[in-house]
Amino acid sequence: MTVSFAAAVLSSSIVSGTSLFYAASGELVGERAGVVNLGLEGLMLIGAAEGVAAASLSGNPYVGVAAAGLACLLANLIFGFLVIERRANQLATGLSLMFFGFGASALIGRAFVGALVPGLPRIAAAGLGPFDIVVWLVVPTALLLWGLLFRTRWGLALRAVGEDPAAAFAAGRRPKLIQFQALALAGFLAGVGGAHLSVGLTQTWDEGMTSGRGFIAIALVIFSKWNPLWLIAGALVFGGAEALQLQLQARGADVSPFLMTMVPYLLTLMILAFWGWSRRSVAPAALGRNYFGVE
Amino acid sequence: MTRLRFLIFALLLILFAGPAAAADPTLTVGAIYVGSTNDYGYNRSMHDGLMAMKAAIPGVTVLEAENVPETAEAERIMEGMIQQGAKLLFATSFGHQESAFNLAKKHPDVVFEHAGGWMQAPNFGNFFGATQAAWYPMGVAAGLMTKTNTLGFVVGVPIGYAIGNVNAFALGARSVNPKAEVRVVVIGSWSDKAKEAAATNALIDQGADVVAMHVDSPATVIQAAENRGAFSIGFQSVEARALAPKGWITGLGFTWGPFMTDTAKSVMAGTFKPAMVREGLGEMIAIAPFGSAVPESTQATVTAAADKVAKGFNPFTGPITDNTGVVRIKEGEAWGGDKMGNFDWYVEGVIGKAK
Repeated sequence: MTVSFAAAVLSSSIVSGTSLFYAASGELVGERAGVVNLGLEGLMLIGAAEGVAAASLSGNPYVGVAAAGLACLLANLIFGFLVIERRANQLATGLSLMFFGFGASALIGRAFVGALVPGLPRIAAAGLGPFDIVVWLVVPTALLLWGLLFRTRWGLALRAVGEDPAAAFAAGRRPKLIQFQALALAGFLAGVGGAHLSVGLTQTWDEGMTSGRGFIAIALVIFSKWNPLWLIAGALVFGGAEALQLQLQARGADVSPFLMTMVPYLLTLMILAFWGWSRRSVAPAALGRNYFGVE
Repeated sequence: MTRLRFLIFALLLILFAGPAAAADPTLTVGAIYVGSTNDYGYNRSMHDGLMAMKAAIPGVTVLEAENVPETAEAERIMEGMIQQGAKLLFATSFGHQESAFNLAKKHPDVVFEHAGGWMQAPNFGNFFGATQAAWYPMGVAAGLMTKTNTLGFVVGVPIGYAIGNVNAFALGARSVNPKAEVRVVVIGSWSDKAKEAAATNALIDQGADVVAMHVDSPATVIQAAENRGAFSIGFQSVEARALAPKGWITGLGFTWGPFMTDTAKSVMAGTFKPAMVREGLGEMIAIAPFGSAVPESTQATVTAAADKVAKGFNPFTGPITDNTGVVRIKEGEAWGGDKMGNFDWYVEGVIGKAK
């Protein structure tokens, strides 16, 4: 069943990129509301562990993905409480969330190491695949998020909060509430990303299995210039970097395996360097700053 | 992450230190694992060995700690076990060597056995399975089962021993199927499940219909192969066959039980002598049961090849050519023992670069 090289690379890039896309889209929504969350890696781990746990207990992979989303939604609200209500430093709190995620996921996943999880059913369509439903939902999700952010009043308010919370408040918006809503959505999406790694891809849980993908997802948000549609391309490129080197090896390319395993990181560096030349920064102006309200 | 784990273990040790120290009939044996014992892989095989030892000797108490990092924390966790009365400790991961050796100097009355290392002291020995030759019959099985004449091998890190496993696998496959070729994909770490799944899919995309692996836990590769309808050959623990009801051919698993039992008995009798123990097929390594897809005639051929290896047949007997056409082992020469760690080349029939 030899598949053409280009088709194999494409399909494996799509699969590798999916968890990156969901995690990054969540981060993007949060950052648009002015909250940067460096704990994404930990959130993804909680999602991956919770996904396997729920799928294993219920016997239903969809329940696993949904439970992972909800678990991360809750975890992200804790993060929100600290940075929005308690006005803790976002970077430090994000790192704490990451370590919390390492520990919590190990605890959740402990009983499920080696457990067999039913995989998500895979469907082939339009000459692509077979992919599971989470993969197929990437483009609709991106479109939906784009519409939410750029074509609704809520999205306008959310972006206003990310640019200047005081101005948004003066215009009759409630910055804290909007940030909480953004973080809830962000948590859910990160959970789906983590669960796709464990329930969709490997069907097992392993401690620390995200192996830095949460950080790559944060880089992806910058790459996509805070636009959900660009995220699709970004996830394909970053997922493709991993897929390409494995496919090249399987094909028997005459290159050292040590050089091969560096390919994704080299590509990341090259892309970020290239992107650095672009005209102006489009980062939300109040990104990372705490809103102290209007006294 | 490692700090957190240590804190959890420290808490557990404090909680259980009291009751365990009180009941000490004959011997308390401690073991530390780098991962979880539910991994269908290496750590599971160590845990199974310890349980076999416990079943064979009445009055043995076993202390176990999972997810012990390869840092000084391993030392503290083993120290805790010694405080609970452990007189024999198995440090089962390669990176636990330094920690175990430091403790051995501090506690001359406690015996240490380390898996895979080289250090020795009067109370410090080491042991490991000689896996390379055992991969030869696995290659025979794969060579007979393949229809595409393409075999896949997922390698965690391309160290000499892992390359040796691939080489013996290829030699075995080509001994029964000269058209067979082995494609190798290197992951870059011993455990990255998402990459292992992607690598397995990549190999199958390139035509492989049998996939073997040398990573910490065979679970992901076997499952990914099963999903795509490919055959798999397991490694580390024979229990991995449960993961592939359709595609399982056979596999290698470590059987540490007899060695651990003998060591515990010698410690109890006060006759322990440190040694560098390396044992192969039939001793520290066993062949897993065959899957339902394997015809009887194939099973017989594989079993015969395994018997040949167990009786001393060395697959690395010259002349052996590498995959660029250079003769690496000359006629009349044979590689064994320490040489197994020296491979930085693949034999003829392997598609891939070793360095």
